[in-house]
Amino acid sequence: MNFLSPLFLLGALAVAGPVLFHLIRRTTRHRALFSSLMFLSPSPPRLTERSQFEHLLLLILRCLALGLLALGFARPFWRQASAPPAAAAAGRRVVILLDVSASMRRTGLWPQAQDRVASILRTVGPADQAAILTFGRRLTPLLSFEAWEAAPVSARTDLALRRVAAAAPGWEEAHLGDALISAAELLTDGAADRASSGPRQIYLISDLKAGAQLGGLPAYDWPKMVELALEPVKANHPTNAGIQLIAESPDADQQASPSVRVRVSNAADSTREQFQVGWALANGSGNRPAPTDIYVPPGQSRVVALPVPPGGGTGKIVLTGDQESFDNTLYVAVPQKQHWTVLYWGADQAGDVRGPRYFLERALPQNPHLAVTLSAASPDQPAPPADLAAAKLYFATGALSAAAADALRAELLRGKLMVLAPPSAAAAVTLARLLAVPTVGLTDAVPADYAMLGEIDFHHPLFSPFADPHYSDFTKIHIWKYRRLQLRGIAGARAVARFDRGDPAVVDIPVGQGRLIVFLTGWNPSDSQLAISSKFVPMVAALLDLAGGKTDATTQFTVGDALPAGFGADSSSPGLYATKAGAAFAVNLAASESRTEPRVADELERYGAPGIKRAPDPAQVKEQAARLLAADAEGRQKWWRWILGATFLVLLLESALAGWTARRVAPAASMGGISS
Amino acid sequence: MTLRNLELRARTVVEGFWTGLHRSPYHGFSAEFTEYRQYSPGDDPRYLDWKVYARSDRSFIKKFEDETNLRCHLLFDRSRSMNYGSTGYSKGQYAATLAATVAHFLHSQGDAVGLLAFDDQMREYLPARHRPGHLRHLMLALEKPAGGHATHLVEPLSRFAALVRKRGLVIYISDFLAPLERLETGLATLTASGQEVTVFQVLDPRELTLELGDAALYEDMETGQRVYLDPATSRNGYQARITAHCEAVRSACQQHGIGYHRLSTADPLELALFEFLQERRRA
Repeated sequence: MNFLSPLFLLGALAVAGPVLFHLIRRTTRHRALFSSLMFLSPSPPRLTERSQFEHLLLLILRCLALGLLALGFARPFWRQASAPPAAAAAGRRVVILLDVSASMRRTGLWPQAQDRVASILRTVGPADQAAILTFGRRLTPLLSFEAWEAAPVSARTDLALRRVAAAAPGWEEAHLGDALISAAELLTDGAADRASSGPRQIYLISDLKAGAQLGGLPAYDWPKMVELALEPVKANHPTNAGIQLIAESPDADQQASPSVRVRVSNAADSTREQFQVGWALANGSGNRPAPTDIYVPPGQSRVVALPVPPGGGTGKIVLTGDQESFDNTLYVAVPQKQHWTVLYWGADQAGDVRGPRYFLERALPQNPHLAVTLSAASPDQPAPPADLAAAKLYFATGALSAAAADALRAELLRGKLMVLAPPSAAAAVTLARLLAVPTVGLTDAVPADYAMLGEIDFHHPLFSPFADPHYSDFTKIHIWKYRRLQLRGIAGARAVARFDRGDPAVVDIPVGQGRLIVFLTGWNPSDSQLAISSKFVPMVAALLDLAGGKTDATTQFTVGDALPAGFGADSSSPGLYATKAGAAFAVNLAASESRTEPRVADELERYGAPGIKRAPDPAQVKEQAARLLAADAEGRQKWWRWILGATFLVLLLESALAGWTARRVAPAASMGGISS
Repeated sequence: MTLRNLELRARTVVEGFWTGLHRSPYHGFSAEFTEYRQYSPGDDPRYLDWKVYARSDRSFIKKFEDETNLRCHLLFDRSRSMNYGSTGYSKGQYAATLAATVAHFLHSQGDAVGLLAFDDQMREYLPARHRPGHLRHLMLALEKPAGGHATHLVEPLSRFAALVRKRGLVIYISDFLAPLERLETGLATLTASGQEVTVFQVLDPRELTLELGDAALYEDMETGQRVYLDPATSRNGYQARITAHCEAVRSACQQHGIGYHRLSTADPLELALFEFLQERRRA
């Protein structure tokens, strides 16, 4: 006979109670009166002198009841030879998730991680399947289930260890949540996984830093059959400080001495607080200006402005005083300020608040990286070719002379962009000249009340900034008058916006390699409310973008970012790079990689990860299986029910016997004392 | 104690002790002449002996022995502890018989008998009188059931001292199973006021020996307190304590010349009366 809960057998020791009570001569049910107890003190019951049991049968019944109760709670069962559970027979499917983010470059972490992989692989049996995935920003299979299965059983572990030995931490940030979700789906989605009934386990080998991105893990419904075992690795040095570039102040170009602002953050478990930060020479042999001392308590960050050295702001800034150097270099590429020119043809003067030029000049972007100036040209004379070539974009809000139109058409054919806003039907000649067609159907139209933009193609670059429903409301822009253009007969013309009556409002017409954007209503207040609406400035910026320049040129990227086309380099490691055009840009570590203080496992669980379990010990697994078998056998036999029934019977018998004994004793137990 | 009627029991006990006349400490008005005294202004002229005045021309006052002015008060403990008894009757019944006997005896001699019954406070007071029917009232008062949840031994003494100013005999009947604080002071006050005090401590034999049988849960008849008690193990200590207590009562009485009689309810009542009379005769 075996017991599921043998500790309950200790309850049988309670039989000592009845044995002791039966040795005590105490008849507490006898009561008597006495005149005064002032000379008496309570006396404890005493054992019978001859150690003689009273009511032996009662004693036996009481001991029997207690013994049976203890036996029942111990859940006895007969062990039977039964087939092992299917789970024990089926192999495990194990995914080893290896963190190769930049923070794993810290001293001592990677060898620990490799050791953990080796120790986990030692627990993987022949029937088990294992896969090794590395994750940084993306999940990369190091060894797939198929490769594991394809390898001979004896060579599997060596194969996996070779793959791990060949791997190394990268520079990406850790997207821990996405990696866990992908690993869980790998274990649950495949056909083989659905057929398998064995345990599915994920071993996460990581430094579990606080900066790891949990992504969609909080919202993910973790599959119940997948277990997660954390295998945290710990760095040799707790101190880690990081350095990040933060955005320049808007008036940076107005400062007498331009500076670069950097944030130095210190991990919460750091033991150092004093650091130095400064520009480094190109060869890295030392700091250019004197480094700036900075005091950063653990868990906090400080912002420091470093003056841009005379040679320019492109270079690297180095943080010293830290024990871990992987995130101590910041690459800075300060973009050169660009100066663009926009040529303008129109009848209005610069200060005419009713003319379109007044509003256009104020909508052109002016920021530390870009300055756009508007240059007025004579509508009667063709502009000098140098001005035409230097200008990024052309605006015309009046009729042009034939010569000027021809010169502009030549530029359009070469790939330039022009915006034409005909003020009246008289500008049809200019439009026809630009398009090199005999004539275009352009007439004035005055709506009864006002017109609105009713049909807008938000896929067009001009309107794409407004594609979000938050910004796509154009109904507040009232249009008082416009021109009606017949698109028929104009090759390639496409109305990207129409008035509510169906007439084209903005027409995109390709001209050679360039394009002509025709606004059939002006933005000046006499034509419409477009210039005083919130849409005008983004539209002008979109036109500049369309003309070939980026108004918000970015020169700072994070490792793993997708670089714009034309950059001609990858962002897999930090550093200073140059685009094909020769412009410098910098790639840096993600700021989250510097937050290396360990994340509490409970926090991971709170964000949706399943119950954190340690990696199971094979001995524990065997013991657990035996326990499961015992519980199964006991659950089928249920001896405890019979024993409990017998206990009740014995207790009933005991009660009856005790009652009979009490009734027999009571008459004989009369005591002295006369009460009035 | 087999007679149910208390008065009958008392009368039975008194028979045979009719000789117990005592001399009154007071001089009063009766037929028996005692002495002459020189008249002094202020004396009642009714008691002038005119014959002597006629014979000798001197004024003398006749003095007579007062036979009816003995005032006896019974201080009777009616607390619940007096309900205990193991001899077939309780201490209270024994004490009531004792009190009734004394009352009957004194009443038969023409003395005035009063009663002050108490437990934790004074419950009943009958002034000392010698009237027809007074003895009957006194018997009825003695037969009333016990009450109270404690015994206060000094309270009746102080109340008695406040109520009764005249000198007389005080018979204090109780089991004295109560704290003895200030008992000696109370007795001293009583004797100092000219009272002649006699104490009867009535106890059950089992109260002296604690022969109670088996262990049981014993309940105090006055306080209701319950303790588990094995008499066999508690007996020695109890006997020492009850003996010391009785000795303390005796000592307090002796210090003030008070007659002390410890009575066991197993003893015949006649012996108690005999002892009492013998003591009075000696006095």
